[in-house]
Parts: sequence; C-alpha cells; structure tokens
Amino acid sequence: MSQAWLPVITLATSLLVAPLIFALPERASRARAVVNLSAAVLKLLLVALMVWGLYQGHRFTFGFTVVEGVSFLLQADALGLMFAGLSSLLWLATTTYAIGYLEDSPNRKRFFGFFSLCVASTIGIALAGNLFTFLLFYELLTLSTYPLVVHRGHDKALAAGTVYLRYTLTGGLVLLLGVVAQHALVGDVAFGQREVLADLGPQAHPMLTVLFVVFLLGLGVKAALVPLHGWLPRAMVAPAPVSALLHAVAVVKAGAFGIVRLVYDVYGISLSHELGLLSLLTAIAVVTILFGSVKALSQQELKPRLAYSTVSQVSYIVLGISLFGPFGTIAGLVHLMHQGLMKVTLFYCAGNYAEELGIHRIDELDGAGRRMPLTSLAFTIGALGMIGLPPVAGFITKWYLGMGAVQAGMPWVIVVIVTSSLLNAAYFLPILHRVWFRQGPAHGRGSWPEERNLGRFETSAWLLLPTAATAMFSLLVGLLAGVPFSPLDLATLMATGEYLP
Amino acid sequence: MIERFGLASDHFGHLNGPLVLLAMLGLPLLLGLLGGALRPARSWPVALLGLLPLSALIWLAAAVAGGPSQSWTLELGSLVLHWRVNGLVLVLLLLTQLIVLVSALYAPTYLRDVVHATRRSQAWFWPLLGLLAASLSLIWLAADLLLLYIGLELMGLTAVGLLLLPGKADALIAGLRYLLLALVGSLAFLLGVALLLGAWGRLDLAGLAQVADEGIVLWVAMALLSAGLLLKAAAFPLHAWLAPVHASAWIPISALHAGLVIKASFFIALQLWLVLVPAAAVAASLVGVMAGAAVVWGGLMAWRAAKLKDVVAWSTVSQLGYLLLAFPLLVGSDPAVAALAWDGTWLQLAAHGLAKAAMFFATGNLILATGESRVEGLAGASRRFPLALLSFGIAAISLVGLPPSMGFTAKWLLLHAALAGDHWGWLAVLAIGTLLSAAYVFRVFRYSFVEDAPTLDFRPVPWGMDTIALVLALAALLLGLVAEWPLALLRGPGGGA
Amino acid sequence: MPPFQEMLLVAVLLLLAALTLFDRQLMRACSWFVAFALMVALAWARLGLIWLALLEATLGAALTGAFLFHALGATLHFRRPRGFFTRWHDSVDLTWWRALARLLPALAVLGMLGLALSALGVSPTRALRPAGLGLLGLGLWAFALHRHLLRRLLAFNVIGTGIFLILMSLAGEGAVVAGQGLVGTGLVVALLGTALGALLIRRLEGLAPPHHVIPAKGDGVS
Repeated sequence: MSQAWLPVITLATSLLVAPLIFALPERASRARAVVNLSAAVLKLLLVALMVWGLYQGHRFTFGFTVVEGVSFLLQADALGLMFAGLSSLLWLATTTYAIGYLEDSPNRKRFFGFFSLCVASTIGIALAGNLFTFLLFYELLTLSTYPLVVHRGHDKALAAGTVYLRYTLTGGLVLLLGVVAQHALVGDVAFGQREVLADLGPQAHPMLTVLFVVFLLGLGVKAALVPLHGWLPRAMVAPAPVSALLHAVAVVKAGAFGIVRLVYDVYGISLSHELGLLSLLTAIAVVTILFGSVKALSQQELKPRLAYSTVSQVSYIVLGISLFGPFGTIAGLVHLMHQGLMKVTLFYCAGNYAEELGIHRIDELDGAGRRMPLTSLAFTIGALGMIGLPPVAGFITKWYLGMGAVQAGMPWVIVVIVTSSLLNAAYFLPILHRVWFRQGPAHGRGSWPEERNLGRFETSAWLLLPTAATAMFSLLVGLLAGVPFSPLDLATLMATGEYLP
Repeated sequence: MIERFGLASDHFGHLNGPLVLLAMLGLPLLLGLLGGALRPARSWPVALLGLLPLSALIWLAAAVAGGPSQSWTLELGSLVLHWRVNGLVLVLLLLTQLIVLVSALYAPTYLRDVVHATRRSQAWFWPLLGLLAASLSLIWLAADLLLLYIGLELMGLTAVGLLLLPGKADALIAGLRYLLLALVGSLAFLLGVALLLGAWGRLDLAGLAQVADEGIVLWVAMALLSAGLLLKAAAFPLHAWLAPVHASAWIPISALHAGLVIKASFFIALQLWLVLVPAAAVAASLVGVMAGAAVVWGGLMAWRAAKLKDVVAWSTVSQLGYLLLAFPLLVGSDPAVAALAWDGTWLQLAAHGLAKAAMFFATGNLILATGESRVEGLAGASRRFPLALLSFGIAAISLVGLPPSMGFTAKWLLLHAALAGDHWGWLAVLAIGTLLSAAYVFRVFRYSFVEDAPTLDFRPVPWGMDTIALVLALAALLLGLVAEWPLALLRGPGGGA
Repeated sequence: MPPFQEMLLVAVLLLLAALTLFDRQLMRACSWFVAFALMVALAWARLGLIWLALLEATLGAALTGAFLFHALGATLHFRRPRGFFTRWHDSVDLTWWRALARLLPALAVLGMLGLALSALGVSPTRALRPAGLGLLGLGLWAFALHRHLLRRLLAFNVIGTGIFLILMSLAGEGAVVAGQGLVGTGLVVALLGTALGALLIRRLEGLAPPHHVIPAKGDGVS
C-alpha cells in the first residue's frame, strides 16, 4: 500500500539528501542549491498530500519491530502533520535564506548536509508514532544541530557547542530513562493510546507523576523552559539561518512539540488534569514567560534579545496546553505554528541587518528602516505579532489563551499574559522606534558598522525573499484565521477531537 | 541459563562434528598460512579468499537453523572433547569472521603504504591473524574447559605476537608486560580448572553444571578463574596494561584486540558464572561494582587522554564496564530481567566490537592523514578529511549509545533490564557512562571543528581504508534499527529457552 | 613411594626453586632452573606419568632453558653472558619490609587454595600437593618481588610447575588423561611464553641502549 510509505518517503526526502550533499564536492554550490531546493519543495508537496489524505480520512502508518516490545512507528496524525507542515515550509524558506547567507563562506557542504539531517530529524519527530521513535529523532536532532552550532569554528562557537551538548545530551538521557521506564511499565504504546496509562488506576498515580516530571525534564531542556534554558542564548553565535532554525522550527519547537505529545497523546489531557500536572505546567510556563521577557529587556544585542524572547514565547505553547479546556488547547497548538513563522521572520531580519550593514547591537539600528525598508517592514510585522497586536498571528494566540484561562477557571493567567505583552512591547517597540523614527546613517549621520551591498535590492534577493514570504505568512495566518486549512482551523479540529471523543 | 549457552547435552549433532570444527578453525589457519606465503599487496585477493570461511559459516548456520543446538564429542583415548553450536555461537562466529575479514582487508594497504612493514613482519602477520581467528572460533565453540584453556592460551599468545610485530621499543615493552600479565592470568585460570577437575573429575561444562555443588572449592575455583579471565579482559582494576598496548600496535591489530580478543575472556567468564554459579547474586554485584568503576574511570581517563589512540583505548575499558554489568543483571536475577539482559549483553558485545573496530580504523586514518597522534592535532580536520571524521563520528554514535545505533538498542535493553529488576545502581552506571562517553567523543569533535588551525600538510588516505572504516561504522549504526535480525540469529538454533 | 624419598624429592624441588628464584646471578639462576625442571621430570616419572616426564624434560628443561640462556646472550661457545640484563639489578631496593609486604598476595592465594584443598580430601599422591603449594608460594612471592623481566619469567615458570603438580595431585583416577592434557597444554604455553619473552628481551636489547628500555617506573603490579 503506497499510503504506508508516504511518511517514509517524506522522511527520506531530507534524510537521503544529506549523503547526496556530502557526496557533492564543496565547489558545486549550484548543484547543491538545486538538490536542496527541490528536496524542500518535494517534501512540502508530500506533506500537503498527507494533509489532504488526512482530511479524506486516510491513515498513514508505517512500522516495524526493532527489538521485541519496541517498535519503530511513523504515523501521520493531525498534530504531527501540523508540525511537519510548519517545518517543511520553513525548511524551504530557510534553505533559500541559507544559500544566500552563506554565499562564498567555507564549509558549505558540511553545513547543508547537517542542515538536511536536522530537518529530517524534525520531520521524524513530527511523524513519530510512539515515544521510542520520537526519542530516536530527538537525539538525532541533537547530533545534527551540533555541527551547525559550532559551524563558525571559533572559540566562542565551540564553547557554545559544548554548553549546547551538555544540556541537550543530558536532557536526551533523562528522556531515554523516562521512555525506558514507560516501556517497563506498560510496554510499547503508540501516541494516542491514552487509555493505557489512564487504566493503570489510582495506585500508579505517584509513579506516573514522577514519570511525567522525568519526561518534562528531558523535553524541557530543548523547549528551553526555565531553569533549563541556559544553552539557548549562548547558541546565538551560530549563523543566522541556524538560529532561525533552532528557535523557530527545530530544537525549541521539538521540545515544545514533545510536551504537547506528552500531555495529549501519552497521558491524555484528563489524566494530566487529574494528576494535577497541568498546574505544574502552568506554573513553569508562567515563570518562563515572565523570566524570558525580563531578561530580553536587558539585552543590548539584537540576537540575544530575540533569543530570550524565544524562551518566553515558546512557553505560550506550554501555557496553552496547560489550560484545561478546548480554548487553551487551541491557543497552544496554534502558537506552535505562529511562533515559528514570526520568530523565523525576526531572525531572518536580524541576519539581514548583520549581513548587509554589519549591525549586531540594537543601538546601531537607528534609521535602518530607510536603508532596508522591506526587511524593516518584515521585522515590524514579526515584532507586532510577538506583542500580540491584531491582525498579526500572535493576536490569535493571545486571544485564545485569554479565553482558555477563563475557561480553565484561572483568570489570573490573563494578568500574566497582559504583563508579558507589555514586556514584549517594552523590548520590541524601542527597536521599532529606532528603526523607523531615529535619524541614522541612512540620513547622513555616522556610518553603518560594516556596509556591504549584496544585491540589487536592499540586500541579496536570496535573503530578502524568504524574509518577505514568512512575514507575509505571519500576517496571512492572522488575517485568514477563520478560513479552512488555516492553522487555527487545524488546531480547532484537534482540540475538538481532544475534548469531544 | 545452561540451555541458552547450548550446553544441554541431550542433542547430539546430526552434522559431522569434526568437520564443523575443521571448517571453522582450519580454514582461517590455512588462509593465514597462504597469506604469509604470498604477502598480498592488494585487498581484492584477500576479499575473495576471505569469503571462504564466511561461506563456510553461512553453510553451518543454514545447516543448524531451526533445530536445537548441536553438540558433539570426540574421544581421544579416555580424553573427551566437547563442542557445540547454537545461536549465540553463530552470532559470535559471524562477528569474528566479519571483524577479522575487515581487518584483513585493511591490512595490505596499511602494511605497505603506512607503516612500511618489513617482509618478515608481513610474513608473520597473516599466519598469526589466521591463528587468532581460529583460536577465537575455538573459544566460541568449546564446551569443555580443556578446549577453552587451549583456545584461551592460543589466543593470548597470538595476540601478544601480533602486538609485537611493529618491533619498536615501546611496542616491545608494552607487549612484554601484556605477555607477563596474560601468562599470569592463564595460570590463575589453570589453577581454577585444576580445582574443578580435582573436585568433580570432569571438564565438560554441561556435566560440571549438573554435579558441581556450592562450597568452598567451587568458590575458590570461580575466584581464580574469574581473576584470570578478568585480567585478560582488562576489567577494572586490572586494566592498566590496555592503553600502552594499543598505543603502539598496528591499527588492524588494535581493532581486532579491542573488538574481539578481550571479549573472548569476558565470554568465557560469563559462561562459567552462568553455568557453575547461576545464583551467586552477591558475588555478581561485586563484579557490578567493578563494572561501575570501569565505566567511570575509563570514561574519565578517555576524557583526559592526550592521544587519540589513548582515547579509543580507554573507551574500551569504559565500554567493557557495560558488558560486565551483565554479571549482576544475569546472575541470580529473575527470568524476565535475565531475558532482557541476555539480549542486551550480546547486542552490546557485537555493537562494541563493530563500532570499536570502526573507530580504530577511523583513528588510524586520521592519524595517517594528519601525521599527528594527539587530539589537538585534529584541529580543522572536519574540513580536510571529512570522511575519516564521519566514520569516527558514526562509530562514536554507537559507542555513546545514541540512536539509532546498535549500541543504543543494546543500552536500551540493558536499561530496561536494570529498571525491570529494580537495579537503580546499574541504571546510574549506564547513565553516567553515556554522559562520560559523550564527553570524550565530543572532545575529539570539538577540536576537529576548529577553523583557525594552521594548515599543515597532510597525506591523503587511500580510499579503500576510508571505505572500510565507514562501512563498518555504518553497520554498527544501522544494525541498531534492525536489531531484531541479530537477535533472531541469537535465538536461532537452541536459543529459544 | 616411601615417605622419606617423597620428602626428599619435595625438599630438593623447593630448594632448587628457591635457588632459581633468589640467586643473585642470573646465569646461575637459569642453570638452577634447568636442574629444577629435570627434577620435576623425575618426579613425574616416579609417579608413572612417563609422557609428562618426557614433555617436561624436553619442553621444560631443554627448550625453556635454551631460551633463557638465549635471553641472557649466552651460547655454547660463549659462556659469559653479554646481555645487559645480566648486569642489570632490580631498581627497587629490597628491604625486609618490602619483601614481607610482597609476601602477602602469595600468602592470600595460598590460604584460599589451602581452604579449598582441605575441603577436597587426601589423594594417593599426596606429596605432590605440598610441593606444588610450596612452589606456588615461592613463585608468587618472587613474581611480586622482582621487577626484572627475566626473573619474572623464571618465577612464572616455577608457579606454572607448582600448579601442574597440584593439578596432577588433584586429578583422580578417571581424570588423569584430562589432567595430562591440561598440563601438556600448560607446558607448551609456558614454553611459548618463555620463548616470546626471551626473544623480546633480545630484541629490546638490540633496539636501544639499556637505560632507555628499563620499564621500572610506574610499573605497578604488572
């Protein structure tokens, strides 16, 4: 049956591209670009095909036994496909961006090879059908991102890589222990078979609570939950496309996605609620959101500020799913998409500023809007989205989060959301003010740190195009949230399925 | 447990036993002699001839497939020799044949182009290699203590001989020390065997398992046997000889030694424990403590080691700790735990064999390419010889036990066994071992990603050598996902206990 | 075998072993070893183990002796040893305290073994057992005491012989053949080990000036 193979082929498109890229010589940049882009487009089509199939009621599963009682399982459910769709869309954009960004820099073969592996792992995480498969790709993600983080090869990058590994490998180990414990407890359970744990009865509840905390520790590292977030700001030394990937699609999102899976598909929302684990999640999420925002305020450089903003924003996902009720779920799931689109846009912009004008610090941005209007426009859209202003995507999230808080009977969460939005505004609006309203080198005052004229437009078209595209998407998913197939529609579909069996 | 080793003596083989023994032992020996006479300069004749013992093995596997385990006896006067074949033996034979074959493929180019071996040492290399393969096969097949003793001694002396071939002073000194330790180990082994023989008057394992009753004699005998074997297996704290031995040995020999030779001693020790003292849980946890210490100490030393080969050698000490965990997990534990640990142990043995061999080959290629034996010498290696580094990396994935490698699947099973048996201590050992191994492996990578390294001139590695390392590493990586296949072989003839 | 002769044999064996292990001059020590091996062959012969006696005489006495002398650099024509090993003394100062401390492992093994043997009961060839134990103890002590490679090889051979004696004393009626098989293998191994060691010593000597190859420091137990 070809349907069983569809997830495998999707996975293979990027998994097999990696050896192909490694096989191409370093100089063959054009061939590499063709391979990369065509694989990205192909994968996007395949994911679209699966989404279509899902709406038609087809089920895509593929599995085999690894050892007795442990199986490798790929399955395409709505949640997985949403994440797969996000990552393949952003892969296409980021590949395009990276081709432009890394033009004429060394080690491009290595970069794109591991880049493909990284995206393959993300797709694997999205399509994983049980915890074992999830773990497999989760660890593969760690391995494939390490060379990207240390790509520059200078001391700072190497040190960041070491810190990154220390966090993620330990997290992976903790997750492994959790998965093994789960197998020892109930055996091989596919995602969605929530009744298995729920049926264990009350005497298993203390153990399940401990197990949940173990899982959370393992996943929380990648999701950069406070206090496990230490690697994220340091990993900023990586090239801009890598930062974009780490923050928007791959690593951070894999952790958040794992927590979503954990709550909905392993424990089930009602069991999590019963065990009081949702309150734990809420507490962690609130702390992370506020901590990330406050830290972001104190950053003087653009990328670290965005990094702490990620710490804060990813926890909206966690906050959403921790609010018991359909609206909270919708908010969490939809933010999985929204945060990806908006954050990737912001990082592209930061990369554009750095590449074209050599800008790294925020106070160097004065008047950049005049020099790079399109980039600055994209940045503005992303930043307004992060603050949660309509009609950008972020507004939808915050709106549903608020409704979810009311529904879950935790109105105090709204205070947190408002506070966080104010903090978001406090660290984004000054940047926008500098970009648009201050006089800078573009007005004849001083000069840019390191200006290069990379292309016919304000910067190279390879850099500008993805930036504009993702900014537009961020705007569109907010504007067209009510249209079928929009992220909100998908999330609503899933949330309804969750609460109305 | 005795059935798992294929020692239950009521099935006599329908195959011609001496023929089996001859095929498994004689062929490698014969080919070794041939190699010594011809001194092949290329890999393809080696590959062609090396398929001969492999196909003999496949014939054997096909002949015993599906049936019970096969055992044979040979009476020489009143001396009776016992040997047997079951799933486990087949797996180990296959592993041996593969690693020996790969080492043999690696050797011609290596000997000719890299170390510029003399004609004389080349003429010695091949017969000794054949002898090593034969003695290893003998150890896997043997079902009595006399054959085991012969195999063990043959293997030990051959290994010393192979380690001495480089002929440099430090190789000789390390080899001499290894020789003395190996000899002492075999004396302890012999003394243990003497006690068993004196107490129960027989040497066949199946018979001993039935008649041996616990008592001071059995305990002293087991202590002596284990001490001798663990010394040869470089188990902590008897491991000090290992790193110097590898530091100066030829690469294919290091690969063989770390991949197979020390495993043979481990195999014998585990077999004796499970056959003779299957309920000695307390003593086994003592071995477990040694295992924990080996994992931690080996990992720390590998982390701190300055030379690349020392990193790999110390990692062997650490990885052997994982294997030694088989003692507390298998001896005296309940059947469900033992079943998991059994699979995990042999998978770990195979995984480490393949991955460590691959890692040694990759290390050899890196050292050859950079001309540097220190880890710092790898600065910038990722750009200049990505293939060797990639092989090293893939092998490292299996060593660290990251998915989807065979090492991961093995560790999964061991972790599962430790959890199922509530052995929290061993769980912690496995966890710490993983982190430490990640630390020493990524230290190597850290250097290889350094960009501002001075570009020294480097030698290109012959593509064959790179390919061998890569293929072996990939085997260790991908067999993890299809681990059901080697495990099916393990459970094959007579293994479904 | 009358008790007196038995006692005498044991005493002579132990004496020869002690001379082999503790004679300060290596040339003499090696000669003592040959005499010791011949004595062991005699002991085997008196027990009716002719094959073992022959093996011991050829492998143990003749060949092993030849290799030992080879290691010393002595030949039939050139009796004065030339190798640096003859002039090389243990770098460790032999104090009484140290000698006693090194005795401990030997005593531990002996004690353990004694316990096991006492549980096994008495055998008809009972003189072999104390002789074997004595040799084992002496050999282990010497092995722990000496750093000198050749002396360690000698000690190894003496320990081996002790173990063979214990083994044959333990092997009951039905197991004599198996015992002979083990001892035979052991003899071959001992010979090969000694040969390898001897050749190695010669190679080392040929490769480097003596002060480079003395592996005395950081040697540990090995």
